[in-house]
Amino acid sequence: MKKFNFHVKPIGLLDMLHFKKMVPRRRAILQSGSLDPITAVYGVNRLAQSLHPKQQKAVVSAIIPRRDANTYVLRADKLAYFRAGQYVSVKLKIGGAVTARPYTLAASPARALEGEYEITVKKAQDGFVSDYILKNWKVGTEVTLSGPEGPFSYEPLRDEKEVVGLAGGSGITPFMAMAYAILDGIEDFRLTLLYGSRTKADILYADELERICAATDKVKVIHVLSEEKAEGFEHGFIDAELIQKYAPENYTLFICGPRAMHDFLARELPGLDLDEKHIRREFVPAPASPTYFGSYAGDASKVFTLKLRFLGEERQIPLRADEPILTAIERAGIAAPSRCRSGECGWCRSRLIGGDVFVPDSMDGRRLADAGAGYIHPCSSWALSDLELEIFPE
Amino acid sequence: MDRQYDIIVIGAGNGGLSAAASACCRGFRTLLIEQHNLPGGFATSFRRGRFEFEPALHELCDVGEPGAREEVGALIDSYGAKVDWVKLPEAYRLIITGEGEEPIDAVMPFGKQAYIDRMEEYVPGSRESMEKFFYLADCIMAANAAVAAAGGKADPKVMMREHPDFLKCANYPTAVVLRRLKMPLKAQKILSAYWCYMGVNMEDLEFGFYASLVHKYIVNAAYIPRFRSHELSVAMDKTIREHGGTILYNTLATRILMEEGAPVGVETTHGTFYARHIIPDISPNAVFGDMMDGGRDLPEAHIRAVNARKIGGRGYCVYVGLNRTAEELGVREYSYFISELSDTVKEQELAGTFREHPMQATICLSNAIPDCSPPGTCIMSFTTFFMKDIWSGVTEREYTAKKREVAEKLIRDFEKATGTSILPYIEEIEIASPATLARYAMVPQGAMYAYSCGEGDGLMARLQMLDEDQRVKNIRFASGYGPRLYGYSSTYMGGDMAVKLTMKDMKEENYEKV
Ligand SMILES: Cc1cc2nc3c(=O)[nH]c(=O)nc-3n(C[C@H](O)[C@H](O)[C@H](O)COP(=O)(O)OP(=O)(O)OC[C@H]3O[C@@H](n4cnc5c(N)ncnc54)[C@H](O)[C@@H]3O)c2cc1C
Ligand SMILES: Cc1cc2nc3c(=O)[nH]c(=O)nc-3n(C[C@H](O)[C@H](O)[C@H](O)COP(=O)(O)OP(=O)(O)OC[C@H]3O[C@@H](n4cnc5c(N)ncnc54)[C@H](O)[C@@H]3O)c2cc1C
Ligand code: FES
Repeated sequence: MKKFNFHVKPIGLLDMLHFKKMVPRRRAILQSGSLDPITAVYGVNRLAQSLHPKQQKAVVSAIIPRRDANTYVLRADKLAYFRAGQYVSVKLKIGGAVTARPYTLAASPARALEGEYEITVKKAQDGFVSDYILKNWKVGTEVTLSGPEGPFSYEPLRDEKEVVGLAGGSGITPFMAMAYAILDGIEDFRLTLLYGSRTKADILYADELERICAATDKVKVIHVLSEEKAEGFEHGFIDAELIQKYAPENYTLFICGPRAMHDFLARELPGLDLDEKHIRREFVPAPASPTYFGSYAGDASKVFTLKLRFLGEERQIPLRADEPILTAIERAGIAAPSRCRSGECGWCRSRLIGGDVFVPDSMDGRRLADAGAGYIHPCSSWALSDLELEIFPE
Repeated sequence: MDRQYDIIVIGAGNGGLSAAASACCRGFRTLLIEQHNLPGGFATSFRRGRFEFEPALHELCDVGEPGAREEVGALIDSYGAKVDWVKLPEAYRLIITGEGEEPIDAVMPFGKQAYIDRMEEYVPGSRESMEKFFYLADCIMAANAAVAAAGGKADPKVMMREHPDFLKCANYPTAVVLRRLKMPLKAQKILSAYWCYMGVNMEDLEFGFYASLVHKYIVNAAYIPRFRSHELSVAMDKTIREHGGTILYNTLATRILMEEGAPVGVETTHGTFYARHIIPDISPNAVFGDMMDGGRDLPEAHIRAVNARKIGGRGYCVYVGLNRTAEELGVREYSYFISELSDTVKEQELAGTFREHPMQATICLSNAIPDCSPPGTCIMSFTTFFMKDIWSGVTEREYTAKKREVAEKLIRDFEKATGTSILPYIEEIEIASPATLARYAMVPQGAMYAYSCGEGDGLMARLQMLDEDQRVKNIRFASGYGPRLYGYSSTYMGGDMAVKLTMKDMKEENYEKV
């Protein structure tokens, strides 16, 4: 570019001086600071810490027995506030294994500020952790939890004012938190809940739900029984027809329940003419075997070897092809990070150094660059060969 | 595991990744410690439903085309990191909407000549002042290069002889120089759009810095990695390992171990690691404060010097995945600057409030990377910053509603300014407040802009005071809090510079590699 014969009129020698003043000026400013202890922790940082603690300790303060399930009231001086619908990851040492499971916070967020959480654990078929908790947790048992996690919450900027909740079994828990939050004025939406149970006796939170519905007209519950016919109850599975029967004109669907319920609904929902925006699904943990997925082409009966690296150590451990890789690590007593155990949250993100894995599309929550660079989420990946993997313990 | 290293880098943000790569490539035994479970700090990504969002990066300057790389692109190449860079379509669209303001709606292109020509279309009669502006920007780039070539210590006499125009203008506030160039007011306003990237108003931000920033963006264009910043950070992680570096994730550095006034190691949640040279990619507040007993053993002057620094803009960003294409929504540009005001001093003042918050820098990622989300959808993000620590007063219970209140205002402001409709199409939404930044990167007050570079704490002064600013021997900062300031390119350069300064420190004490 052509050079200007450039003079900015009033600029002259003075400007050189201005330039020279820069350092003395800054020096003086730097000496104007206080002698208070230096810190990087301000109010916002404390807010972040209290909303998202890395770990929380609580004590079981009461147990409410239910059919094939218990509700545990957990107490501590301080527990993190949460958004209705979020879960905590419960950390456990069971025999030689170190593991964790996500459980939804089922009480009102308001109670968290008073140091109280509630979780409900339902007996699962061959349930390793649920069995352990139901047998072993007593009043006074100390428990270790993560902070609240998960995006299964109502968001007024995104969702309709009317929500239709579809719950199956223990999938009622996030809706309990939402219903209580509505009652406490923390959330503002109308909830129509279609709640599927096997029989009347299997309904969790029957009394509580009745009380909430009596106290607010913003929450409505329709019980759907699959194995019992009874007056005042719908019968069968929650299907498109039933949803249409109870749904208002514009609504957002929230779904939480077992994998089988999600699979069933996947065939029903197209009949409803809802776009993706209007369907919110809670995460679903890995199925009992990868053979569940049609795209699985491995041999689930095999046992491979996992060469595991962590913190400069190296261990060889057996690796069953039919279990998520995370389970093999936990069986060996090595604490691997996890939260959702559904492939979505990324907490278990690990570096695959060698070997082949199966990652079902429906559980592949990896970041694009991670998938390209060989990272996996072991909670939702299964071995197809011997593997070498680096994990990043917390 | 190995406990002994030449250099320990604390934090795997841009600066830390760059420092670790630079150190490994030079053969130092290097340990990189990161409290999160992935690299990048702000330079990362996250997924919600069908979308993968970019948390921070709008545009990275100084990358350049393959084969004709600029400073930062060349540095990243030299580390051996492979990144699929996407060139951005246009510089920006500036919309000024407020009452009593002369309305402005200007779409500005990359390329010096194109930029000047477009400015002349919007502001007839601006050409001469714009050419002068770019002339001065060239002078500043040349002078910067000369200072860098002289290792930061340029001879004043040489500077006076060879770079007089630099000395005449560089240290004045940008607005003062633009006025003296007799630039028409409207052109000044259009040219000032990038002030949002620094969070310092034009009456304060030094011209030398602003002109070089505009030069870098406009002349050399800007880029982003195809798979969000996480692609860049993962590529850096890979190259660090390939060069023998060790990286520990989920590892929080808690304490600097000192002996005779110099560091000997770092305590972490996974034990103690030893090194005589530390490169923090975090704030001096954290290092000299929380990791050294609040600075108790430091000389008073050092404590004052750290406490005197001013925390810069505290970040806030709304990310949305929309169930319409950008075209369907009528969102045409990649990068928008939108404000109710054109007076950056007033903007900065109002940015200390919740309700009157006037400005936003908004991105529609899909207009740079059309397949960044599934067909029929697009991704947008709305960024702003707070010039006061007002989020410190928000309680846990108010928090979500407060976040949402700001989000709604930003999106409505955008809709109003562009005549589009966004809110009804939100399929996924996530809101990052200063508390979110504090959570993920542990930055004080949720600062996105580290220490402000306004009010006398600008780049030139910092560079001239490099030695004085080293408060503790053998500790050299790579982060946005360091001498090179904040932003992607600055922290990448800053990481490399921290290693070069560390090598100088090593030489002075005849350090031998472990
Ligand atoms: C977001 C979210 C929220 C949830 N909320 C609730 C809730 O509120 N209430 C509720 O009841 N459930 C909830 N769940 C489900 C819950 O997390 C568990 O999946 C459920 O309790 C079953 O766990 P389980 O260990 O008993 O059964 P499974 O997870 O089915 O246990 C069997 C599995 O355990 C593993 N295993 C077996 N032996 C061992 C061993 N020795 N060492 C290590 N691993 C072993 C194997 O992988 C085996 O497949 C939620 C799930 C998610 C994703
Ligand atoms: C919303 C937003 C938009 C932005 N847009 C742009 C843009 O368009 N262009 C641009 O150039 N810049 C932009 N920036 C600024 C840019 O992102 C930052 O300046 C830059 O990323 C800061 O890098 P850093 O090296 O200072 O490290 P940071 O990103 O702050 O990372 C510090 C790292 O240290 C870790 N850490 C902290 N404490 C500890 C500890 N005690 N132990 C171990 N690890 C620790 C943190 O986890 C983090 O990973 C934006 C920022 C934000 C928030
Ligand atoms: S634990 Fe959430 S992705 Fe694996």
